[in-house]
Amino acid sequence: MRFLALPAGTAMLLLAGVAVLVIGLYLLRPLPRRLVISSSLIWRRVLKERKRKPERLRWWLSLLLALALALSIAAAITRPEIAAVGGRAEEVVLVVDNSATMGARSPDGRTRLERALERARATIEARGAGSRFLVADTMRQISAPTFQDRRVALTMLERIKPDSGRQPRFPDVALPHGTGAAGQALFITDGVSGVEPPRNVQTISAFQPVDNVGIIAFDVRPVPGNPRRYEAFVEVLNASAGNKRVELRVAGTGAKVITKTLQLPGRSSANEVLDVSAFDSGPLRATVDTDYDGFALDDTAFAFLPAKHTVRVGLVTRGSPQLQRAFELLPRVQLVVLSPEHFGTARGLDAVVFDRYAPPDAPHLPALLIRPPRTNWLPRQVGEVADIGIARWDPAHPLLRHLNLRDITVESAELLKSDVIEQGVRVLAVGPRDQPMILTREAGVRWIEVAFALEQSNFAQQASFPMFLANSIEWLTNESVALSRELGVVSVPLANAKVVNLEGREAKAQWTHDATLFEAPQPGFFIASSGDQRVRVAVNLLDPRTSALNESPLPLQPQDRELVQPGARIAIDPWMLLLLIAVGLLTIEWLTYNRRVTI
Amino acid sequence: MLLTESFLRQLELLTLVPRGRAHGQLKGMHRSRRTGAGMVFADYRPYSEGDDIRNIDWGIYLRMDRLILRLFEEEADLPVYIFLDTSVSMDHGEPHKLDYAKRVASALAYVALLNHDRVNLITFADGLREMLPTRRGKNQAPQVFNFLEGVQAKGRTGLFAALRRYFGVPRTRGMVVLVSDFLDPDGAEAALTVLRRFRHDVVLLHVMSPQERDPQLPEEVVLVDAEEGTSSELEVTPALLAAYRETFEKHAGEIEAYCRKYGWGYVRALTEIPFEDLVLKGLREEGLLR
Repeated sequence: MRFLALPAGTAMLLLAGVAVLVIGLYLLRPLPRRLVISSSLIWRRVLKERKRKPERLRWWLSLLLALALALSIAAAITRPEIAAVGGRAEEVVLVVDNSATMGARSPDGRTRLERALERARATIEARGAGSRFLVADTMRQISAPTFQDRRVALTMLERIKPDSGRQPRFPDVALPHGTGAAGQALFITDGVSGVEPPRNVQTISAFQPVDNVGIIAFDVRPVPGNPRRYEAFVEVLNASAGNKRVELRVAGTGAKVITKTLQLPGRSSANEVLDVSAFDSGPLRATVDTDYDGFALDDTAFAFLPAKHTVRVGLVTRGSPQLQRAFELLPRVQLVVLSPEHFGTARGLDAVVFDRYAPPDAPHLPALLIRPPRTNWLPRQVGEVADIGIARWDPAHPLLRHLNLRDITVESAELLKSDVIEQGVRVLAVGPRDQPMILTREAGVRWIEVAFALEQSNFAQQASFPMFLANSIEWLTNESVALSRELGVVSVPLANAKVVNLEGREAKAQWTHDATLFEAPQPGFFIASSGDQRVRVAVNLLDPRTSALNESPLPLQPQDRELVQPGARIAIDPWMLLLLIAVGLLTIEWLTYNRRVTI
Repeated sequence: MLLTESFLRQLELLTLVPRGRAHGQLKGMHRSRRTGAGMVFADYRPYSEGDDIRNIDWGIYLRMDRLILRLFEEEADLPVYIFLDTSVSMDHGEPHKLDYAKRVASALAYVALLNHDRVNLITFADGLREMLPTRRGKNQAPQVFNFLEGVQAKGRTGLFAALRRYFGVPRTRGMVVLVSDFLDPDGAEAALTVLRRFRHDVVLLHVMSPQERDPQLPEEVVLVDAEEGTSSELEVTPALLAAYRETFEKHAGEIEAYCRKYGWGYVRALTEIPFEDLVLKGLREEGLLR
């Protein structure tokens, strides 16, 4: 026999102690009062006529009742596992996949998650009394899961909701070894999220086919060679098995709308490029509509159409053909090349790029500095580093958006002393030993410092280089661009910002020292503002893997009638049964005492 | 002092009433079966030589010319045997049973002495213990009282042994007053049979205390028999107490029924009733006193 509340030895000791205590109390029972009477003649006749029960027998009967009563209560405290009464007690790990695709709704109106939770509930209720359950989910909604009793486990299941905010993963929980007598680990999923459970976990399918048409890509870009024209790129996926007639609609600010009808075969996608030059600057909303769609999260996507004007950029260099050519290729940039000596004469610039040069005083224009020499207003240089690359960078920052800096190699770079970097300066990319490689300052007049020269690196040959320059100019001139974020917890690189959506409703935000965090469970367009700074954020799902709801390696979920395993039962907990027995014994004791059957 | 002066004066008006004729040898105040010098005509018989010629009925002689003698009932004294139970069981109760019994015995003895009856006082337990030799006349009352005052409770109840021993020697038939609680483990019937055999005029004064008739006991109690020293543990319930009361009543009823069957007197001497009431009312109602 196992005891769930106490180690077996302690439980046996407790029971033995209770038995000894009860027997001791009976032995120590105070003697009845002695009363001398004139004669016991009459009493003897009375007792003879009443067929008096033997005192000893009554004492034993009373002791046995008291022992049974006390041991029942003590045993209930130890929570014994009695297979014959409550079934076999197990430790069951139950992991429910609650990634975004589990929110897909079948034609019968139930979501995959609802089916999964039903299955989980059936599993919990079918287990033996005294079983303990660890309920966890793939989206970490249940933090620090531990083994709980049946009631708490069922309550915890209620807390699991579909979540699209994070990358789903199998939770880090203690799994029973093997699937034998000790317990069982079950993972209920639709198999779409691709979460791989550990080897000894049994996967149970919650997969049901669902029709879905969704937007898996949406972006707005200027037309190369014509900075005043913009195109919206939309990719629509039909994840359903059959053909779908889809109405694609792109709407901007004001009354501008583009509608297009698509005929999409099953499990196929279509790319659409729409001219949105006529739209006013601002957020764009793309929606798809079809006759039946079981997954709404990918039916809407947001992008931002920036202002359509050119930027005057001064390039201060003693000669850098690569840099000059790259800027000239940027459609919205009007480049003015200057030598350091003539920098002071330039007028009407929106931003300036210093190539291996820095003026003695901080300029009044936003600046991109590429390996500047040592000056007073820039972070202090303490030496040089050679032959390094960029190990980490902040892809969330608008400056490094959509960039891959991993392949950059640098022959020689400035070694900036990171521990004396002034307040407001932020390191966006670092070398393998955390050497600052790209830095920015957002407070006051913005500047960007790149710690290495183009000639001493392969950065100019990287595909991300022109985009870096474009992002730099946009960021320096505070162009109206929008950050692109996934659903879930959104981080905006703006401290203490207030976040509102397109409808003007404020989102509940939290703040770190340099960022603002808010929850976006649905696609939306948000504006985070702090003082005179504003950051636009387009939050979309745009995940082909998620939208492809029917791409599951798992079989269909079994019918409901198969959910509860044969022979499964809801049994009473042995401890509860013991308490009931104790109540029964107490009643018997009361009755027998009052009828003088016991003492 | 067992009896007060005022109560003694009240007792002077009473007399013991035997249920049959007295068989005393001495002159007394009770009618007897003997004929002799008396006031109540009893019978005639022919004169024989030596008879008292004063009792010849001269009228008959004149009419019938025969000498016929008139016979008169002789008034005799009454032997009164007062048995007092002094076993340990009498040493209980509130009011005290033995004290009560001693006072009743004193009263009866006093009345008997007043009527010139021969009073024998015998105390017994599991045998005869003390006996006061026959006393007669009022002047013997102090001795009777002193004797009774000195009586102490001791020993088991053994009616049969005591009566058999006492009546083992020839005794004039008379009135036997048995004052006891009759809590004899061997039963009272055998002892009473002894009395019946000698054809005494018997009156039983059954002394019982309220504690015996209606005991008030805790729920759990060990009862110790004062005479035998045995103990028994009891779970006292109302039902058990009711059964006890019923059995006690049955026990007393059996003794009373025995007495009624043989024309004996039986009086319940309940100690909570003032003994004066018992003597002046209870015993008179029973016909023991007049």
